[in-house]
Amino acid sequence: MAAQGRIVWVSGPAVRADGMSDAKMYETVTVGNSKLVGEVIRLTGDVAFIQVYESTSGLKPGEPVIGTGNPLSVLLGPGIIGQLYDGIQRPLRELSKASGSFIGRGITTTPVDMTKKYHFVPTVSNGDEVSAGNVIGTVQETDLIEHSIMVPPDHPGGKISNIVAEGDYDLETELALSEKDGQTIPLKMYHRWPVRKPRPYKNRYDPTVPLLTGQRVIDTFFPIAKGGTGSIPGAFGTGKTVTLHQIAKWADSQVVVYIGCGERGNEMTEVLVEFPHLKDPRSGKPLMDRTVLVANTSNMPVAAREASIYTGVTIAEYYRDMGKDVVLVADSTSRWAEALREMSGRLEEMPAEEGYPSYLASRLAEFYERAGRVRAAGSPDRDGSVTLVGAVSPSGGDFTEPVTTHTMRFIKTFWALDAKLAYSRHYPSINWMNSYSGYLADIAKWWGENINEDWLSLRSEAYGVLQREDTLKEIVRLLGPEALPDEEKLILEVARMVKIGLLQQNSFDDVDTYCSPEKQYKLLKLLVDFYKKGQQALKEGASLSDIREMSVVTLLLKARMDVKDDEMPKLDKLENDMQEQFKSITGVKVSN
Amino acid sequence: MTTEGGVQYSKIAEIKGPLVIVDDVENAAFDELVEIQTTDGERRLGKVLEVGNGKAIVQVFEGTTGLSISGTNAKFVGKVMEMPVSKEVLGRVFDGLGRPKDGLPDPIADQFIDINGEPMNPEQREYPKDFIQTGVSVIDGMITLVRGQKLPIFSGSGMSHNLLAAQIARQASVVGTQDDFAVVFAAIGVQYSEAEYFRRSLEESGALKRSVLFLNTADDPAIERIITPRVALTVAEYLAFELGMHVLVILTDMTNYAEALREISAAREEVPGRKGYPGYLYTDLSTIYERAGKLNGRKGSVTQVPILSMPSDDITHPIPDLTGYITEGQVVLGRDLFRQGVYPPINILMSLSRLMKDGIGEGSTRADHGEISNQVYDAYSRAQEVRALAGIVGKAGLTEIDLKYMDVGDVFEKEFLTQATDENRTIEETLGVLWKIVSKLPKNEITKIKDKFIEQYYQEE
Amino acid sequence: MASNSSLEQAIDKILVKTEKEILSDLEKTGSDSKNILDNALPKLQQEYDKIISDGKKEADKIEKQIVGSSDIELRNKQLLLLEEAVDKVFSKALDQIANVDRNDDYSNLIKTLLKESTNVLGTSEITVNTNTKDKDIVQSMLSQFPGSELGSDSIDCLGGIIVKSKDGSMTFDNTIDAKIERLKPLIRKEIASKFGVGN
Repeated sequence: MAAQGRIVWVSGPAVRADGMSDAKMYETVTVGNSKLVGEVIRLTGDVAFIQVYESTSGLKPGEPVIGTGNPLSVLLGPGIIGQLYDGIQRPLRELSKASGSFIGRGITTTPVDMTKKYHFVPTVSNGDEVSAGNVIGTVQETDLIEHSIMVPPDHPGGKISNIVAEGDYDLETELALSEKDGQTIPLKMYHRWPVRKPRPYKNRYDPTVPLLTGQRVIDTFFPIAKGGTGSIPGAFGTGKTVTLHQIAKWADSQVVVYIGCGERGNEMTEVLVEFPHLKDPRSGKPLMDRTVLVANTSNMPVAAREASIYTGVTIAEYYRDMGKDVVLVADSTSRWAEALREMSGRLEEMPAEEGYPSYLASRLAEFYERAGRVRAAGSPDRDGSVTLVGAVSPSGGDFTEPVTTHTMRFIKTFWALDAKLAYSRHYPSINWMNSYSGYLADIAKWWGENINEDWLSLRSEAYGVLQREDTLKEIVRLLGPEALPDEEKLILEVARMVKIGLLQQNSFDDVDTYCSPEKQYKLLKLLVDFYKKGQQALKEGASLSDIREMSVVTLLLKARMDVKDDEMPKLDKLENDMQEQFKSITGVKVSN
Repeated sequence: MTTEGGVQYSKIAEIKGPLVIVDDVENAAFDELVEIQTTDGERRLGKVLEVGNGKAIVQVFEGTTGLSISGTNAKFVGKVMEMPVSKEVLGRVFDGLGRPKDGLPDPIADQFIDINGEPMNPEQREYPKDFIQTGVSVIDGMITLVRGQKLPIFSGSGMSHNLLAAQIARQASVVGTQDDFAVVFAAIGVQYSEAEYFRRSLEESGALKRSVLFLNTADDPAIERIITPRVALTVAEYLAFELGMHVLVILTDMTNYAEALREISAAREEVPGRKGYPGYLYTDLSTIYERAGKLNGRKGSVTQVPILSMPSDDITHPIPDLTGYITEGQVVLGRDLFRQGVYPPINILMSLSRLMKDGIGEGSTRADHGEISNQVYDAYSRAQEVRALAGIVGKAGLTEIDLKYMDVGDVFEKEFLTQATDENRTIEETLGVLWKIVSKLPKNEITKIKDKFIEQYYQEE
Repeated sequence: MASNSSLEQAIDKILVKTEKEILSDLEKTGSDSKNILDNALPKLQQEYDKIISDGKKEADKIEKQIVGSSDIELRNKQLLLLEEAVDKVFSKALDQIANVDRNDDYSNLIKTLLKESTNVLGTSEITVNTNTKDKDIVQSMLSQFPGSELGSDSIDCLGGIIVKSKDGSMTFDNTIDAKIERLKPLIRKEIASKFGVGN
């Protein structure tokens, strides 16, 4: 029986209602005369504590609260791709039809168009036994997405009957019946799943395949694996959003879920405007055909911000279960944590550090634990992954604050954004000394097999130059560069070239915005070769200024913008020119 | 407007800070407007912060000074706070709660609008990309402002932020169509003289008739400051989205706003976040800043230039910090430059306009704009490093190329940054100076600009 | 004389040479000064233009200022006139209401006001106050509202009632004055539109 109570207290997004002894934890309820959506987050006696996902302005004690009997769930089926949802999966396009340019309240819509017809191709026949997770057929959701219709994960399984023939059906059509122990359950193109409950799978694998983002500082220096976790903390103005947009644009995954959680409205608009026009570098199709957006901007109700993370990750797991690689980008988990803090404050819970609730760490852990590379439940065998990338917005850029420190415990790749780099317009402003990746060893095999065996050693050498430069910088700061011998000045010079020619990447430049792994490897190799040949040349009597004045230096620095991914021979020519020029400054043949 | 409002309650349980707690309240809504009346007939406005179990916590905008437990009544008005708007608000001066301050009657309302506004649907936003020429070189060239952007000025006490904001308001008004431009100015706890400077500046440029002023000066009630930016933005949204005007909103000083918010939070005994500011400061600020923008299918725009003074010039202080996370960039004034007498004393390395990339380039400013500004950023940043180095090793210890970067720094500050308060430069002039700066460098130092632009614009000695 | 002539020749030569030099010098100076002039002219022109344009800017500024402020002054005068007119209409209307016949319609109005008040206050234990003029009408209605009583003090209003809960914690002002006050912004809009002002 659904609970029916009355509001006794209102404070911002928090509402208490009595007469709610039938309510369940995390049940969704409708609140007040204007039927706002809310969720039960605590029960004490017959009083339910409810977080309301819409503005409570004008709400009065005495108004009714009615339970729905269901936990907060998302609808999973074709039509999700390309959508822009709010934090509780209401399509913002549909909301605007109901309330215009501004977001109204108490509007109900379905997350996808239930009447749209998709061409269904059955993959099971009458009499087949199916279990939870089994694929019963496919539909083409977008040009890029073949969408598997699966038996819901909480389904008891059974024998298929009444399966429809291949053809066009809408979402409400009963595609088949499953029978078990005399019980018949219809199977449709969609099902619902509670957002706070991870979707089950069969097996979990170690992540060993890199998620290629086309961003050199990520792929080459601090890679993330498919099914891995990463975090990108940074003060404002360090280019967090641009970096996340770059990952969402260019990552080699089949589906991207982008959550704008408590961030700027215009950023979501930017994605909406840009993505339909950008082409996926692998398929040539618009990026929007693989993207789902969940937007709960900073000025939208704070409780729905808390939910938006779960809404997004549940959608990601659903596509993972089809055997797809999914990237989920959450910008920003700090705003999500703040929403937790605000609700916790209104619940008058005992605060831990900086007012955050004591369960902040466990909530973060639960979220990042939903990443992974898995074998999906049911047959046929499908391997998919969910890669989680969470932005963190530390107050004052201070990485010792609770959200950053707790996040660091649960993620393996850490891209530390640096305000100083950003101020000098070094973008992406990922600090190479403070960042790390726990996946280097796991994915080195992939680079070895697919690109070149010496990838890892080249990467280590380039990274070594950067590390040594960092130490030398201290000396320069105290004594000036002239205090260093030429060998060490060369390190400074090469480090500068690595920074400009490799680490920096202009996301607004047509060529530089995406860099193929082949080109990344080649640029890396050229720079490491330059360093080795430079050392050699110094030994053989060349001066540092000879090396600096070689014309290939500028070419090397500009190659990232000048050479397109399909113009690799240009880099081979650059390599030759470099060898020639080194020869000419030493007058001796430089060994290769 | 509901008919049920209007009950006056006289059982006051507690008065603390800016809050009045009313007992035995049967019929009140969250966020409802409240009229507080004293026995001698004085009326103050407030709103419901929390209601339930027979109690209502009311925040009094004009403060609680002089209120007593027995002599105070609270009337629940039955609606949220609204601002009457019409075209006739232009050329008017209001107080911090939106009541006339110019001796003229209340505007005859075309509409009454909830001052809290509603969040714009991100799907209905139009991405801002129309270049606003402010005539201030450093802004137009390096930190470009676009229509519908929110770009704050981070300043410190005593610096020239008001001069700059006034110059922007004056000069931005002369580009494009003069007809549909308006300025909404909200003074939030600033000195009377600062507000007056602004008013006069608008008057002298003839823009006063296209302006609306909301004045809460330093001697006005502090809690009123919670309302001032909201009434101002309500009027701005009306002018922009109902009347199709391009509205520039200047909010000064947002630090005073945040302090008023902290005062209320402290009175409610909430768990504080950093520096005693409430944990919801970010969310609260966003309900102000996110009211900038453009909407699909509507002509107007709301552009915000909030000004805030950083306590002790500290950019990591919660107010500038959280502001920076919401706004689309920031213009940071530098104490050093200000001390050297540079106007505008903008520290470009710490400044940024996030929407610049879409507002510049071919068709709006010039194709080379993005690359030349990147190169100048880079060069100026190198110049600063070289200056620091020169401080250690002396000028004699610098290489030839280092000296060229020193030159870049000087030309940048003297010829590009420095500008008179009534000097209105075109974008072509601005770009010209940028190329002059870059041309101080040999061509092989120019790594961020395509060769075709270098050929076209590089100024050989 | 030969020596003389050769001397002369030499002198002539020197003279010619010098002359050439002088001429070429002169020529050079001429072209230089022409260059200088040529270069200076546009600068002068610019200076001149600047003086003119500065003056014009100043004039524009003053003009804008004058036009702007006179526009506003004119508009503000209109606003004040309009308000005066609105006030006139208002006070006339109020007079009419104050002097309306205390007939059955009015009794019904009082009854409605009483009903509304008990609803809003959520109690029937009420004290009702009214002006001297309406005391009798109100008194006669109270019999239909058990729990209610007439307050001893008269109040100053056009008509209608003020209702208090007996414990004194709640008051509902349901005078005609209060109703009009609440509706005033809408009524002003109405009147103004009759004058052809407003949107």
